[in-house]
Amino acid sequence: MKFFRTILAALKEIFEESAYERFCSREKVEVSRESYASFVRESSEARNKHLVRCC
Amino acid sequence: MKPSLRVLLWIAIALLGALAVATIALHRGEQINALWLVTAAVCTYAVGYRFYSKYIAAKLLALDAHRATPAERLENGRDFVPTNKWVVFGHHFAAIAGPGPLVGPVLAAQFGYLPGTLWIIVGAVFGGCVQDFVILLFSVRRDGKSLTEMAKEEIGPVGGLVAYGSVISILIILLAVCALIVVNALKQSPWGAFTIAMTIPIALLMGVYLRRLRPGRVLETSAIGFVLVLAAIWGGQWASQTPAVGKYFTLTAPALAIAIIVYGFAASALPVWLLLAPRDYLSTFVKLGTIGLLALGIVAMHPMLHMPALTRFIDGTGPVFAGKLFPFAFITIACGAISGFHSLISSGTTPKLIRRETEIRMVGYGAMLCESLVAIMATVAACVLDPGTYFAINSPAGIAGQLPETAARTISGWGFPVTASGMQALAHSVGEQTLFNRTGGAPAFAVGMAHIFSSSLGGQAVMALWYHFALMFEALFILTVLDAGTRVGRFMIQDALGHVWKPLGRTSWYPSILTTSGLICAAWGYFLWQGVRDPLGGINSLWPLFGIANQLLAAVALCVATTIIIKMHRAKYALVTLAPLAWLVTVTFTASWHKVFDSDPRIGFLAQARQLAAAGGNARLIFNNRLDAVVTGVLIVMVTLILLESARQWLDILSGRKAARVSETPFVVTRLAEEQG
Repeated sequence: MKFFRTILAALKEIFEESAYERFCSREKVEVSRESYASFVRESSEARNKHLVRCC
Repeated sequence: MKPSLRVLLWIAIALLGALAVATIALHRGEQINALWLVTAAVCTYAVGYRFYSKYIAAKLLALDAHRATPAERLENGRDFVPTNKWVVFGHHFAAIAGPGPLVGPVLAAQFGYLPGTLWIIVGAVFGGCVQDFVILLFSVRRDGKSLTEMAKEEIGPVGGLVAYGSVISILIILLAVCALIVVNALKQSPWGAFTIAMTIPIALLMGVYLRRLRPGRVLETSAIGFVLVLAAIWGGQWASQTPAVGKYFTLTAPALAIAIIVYGFAASALPVWLLLAPRDYLSTFVKLGTIGLLALGIVAMHPMLHMPALTRFIDGTGPVFAGKLFPFAFITIACGAISGFHSLISSGTTPKLIRRETEIRMVGYGAMLCESLVAIMATVAACVLDPGTYFAINSPAGIAGQLPETAARTISGWGFPVTASGMQALAHSVGEQTLFNRTGGAPAFAVGMAHIFSSSLGGQAVMALWYHFALMFEALFILTVLDAGTRVGRFMIQDALGHVWKPLGRTSWYPSILTTSGLICAAWGYFLWQGVRDPLGGINSLWPLFGIANQLLAAVALCVATTIIIKMHRAKYALVTLAPLAWLVTVTFTASWHKVFDSDPRIGFLAQARQLAAAGGNARLIFNNRLDAVVTGVLIVMVTLILLESARQWLDILSGRKAARVSETPFVVTRLAEEQG
């Protein structure tokens, strides 16, 4: 069970679902179009500055 | 486990690894099973991880479980987040695993399976993993600073400037070569072109779905996108068999090149959420699944390798790319053994997620071992093909011949029998018009992968589907590197131009976005166009240039690492980074010398320019060869500068002329250690 929980947690981190959950709890907002739009705006900044995928 | 049993277990693993290495190294004249390669790799990786990485962690780096990491000290729920080590491992592996370890080993298979396999294993254990590990730790001890920032702080302003210049030049060449691989894989392939074209509307749909219908449900959206991509593969078969549709997707190399340049520009200028992010999710989903599937496939099917251990082309006359085994095998394999680009990831997002210093060994060293295993799988995929088939796919028309019969005769004349009718039948079975002259590595990998899977899962009847699945998988994540890289390149140019005129540095100002997107696309687009028009297929000149650039970036990273090690008063262990650095410098400088000055026109850029000029050849081709020579020269000069600057630092510190002062953040005791015992 722990193994599958870890796999799921890794996938959620890779696919930025955890980052969105952290954003919601940090900003104290609900899951919504508006909060997701704000999250995307914030995470785009990091995506633009770092090479997120290697060769 | 009892200590005595543990010792016995490690002796057994080491002996099995030694037996596997001896088998692949000494077998001649008979085919061997692919599992020997996998066993040699896995056992060596296990021993390397257990002993060498532990030695580095304990003696050289002195990893400290009590030292708070930036993820803990600067935790903000955004960039800095203490994260479970397995989660960081998955995140880091997903970021570093790209097309390089798949393409490089396939191209290097022209020398036979042995040189590539040995270098992938040895290079990873002593070079690539070490680089990723030490750079990750040094970035963690500097609050997650980037490689260029560390170069500036530890080596000096010249180091910072050269690192910046290296990164941007290398990025341009990487993007060009990535685009060229996709062009060569999709040219005259309506099925492949249709499938990949469909991934763009699928990504747009995913973007809208994520934004409007199910905000934040990325895994769910990616799964839906994956199902749609599978449907697009089926649709591709229909498109290729329907002339009215197929003609729109039967594209020449120049037409595909223009389409990809336009795509790169759009991905750079459009909002991230609309195209870039959903494609990234989709490609990661497919990538992780397919790598796992390929590993299972190789173990379950354990195919025989048809490629000999060594081919006659170790003498430098190979058709896939020209140049002798040394140094060209090493710069061709590149990412599967050591990749400079990993140092950018190790000093990017990953250091901000590390919870405890002691976990860095598993993330940095361990993830690179997994990437190296992917390269071994690519070697297997290439070497399960009959050598004649392999060379027919990977030899450019300029060398093997334009017509199928001519090419088959030429390749058979090299000692690797192949017939035009056999190749026609193979092309037909994978749903292509032809498989001759499909240079770049991706089609050969796809045929190899389809061959492995179709031997049990669905048989020959679904060979075409497996082939296009593999092709889609490669093209999809190569294009992801392309769009993400174009965007990063755009930001780097905006950063630099912002110093000249402030508005150009504003990342949300559209005139600046369009200008800098245009600049970066023009830069890599130029090299792509050059590759497309090259009579030798483009890969012959661009892949070595990419390999040299990538390995030089690794040299920059190892210079930074060695400087820090000497400043840490750990000079007696400096060989850990100095040895791979010396090897990389030897390999890349030798390869660069050959690429610029070799008198063989197939190898040396200047010799080819002279030959073209003497024959009254195309002025553009002559210029391109001279430009490639200049680019190689500039890269070498930049790395020489950083080497000299680093060596000066080392001598000053070791002779006592200069105080050894590292710019680590001060030690703070972790709270996590107390919480977790």
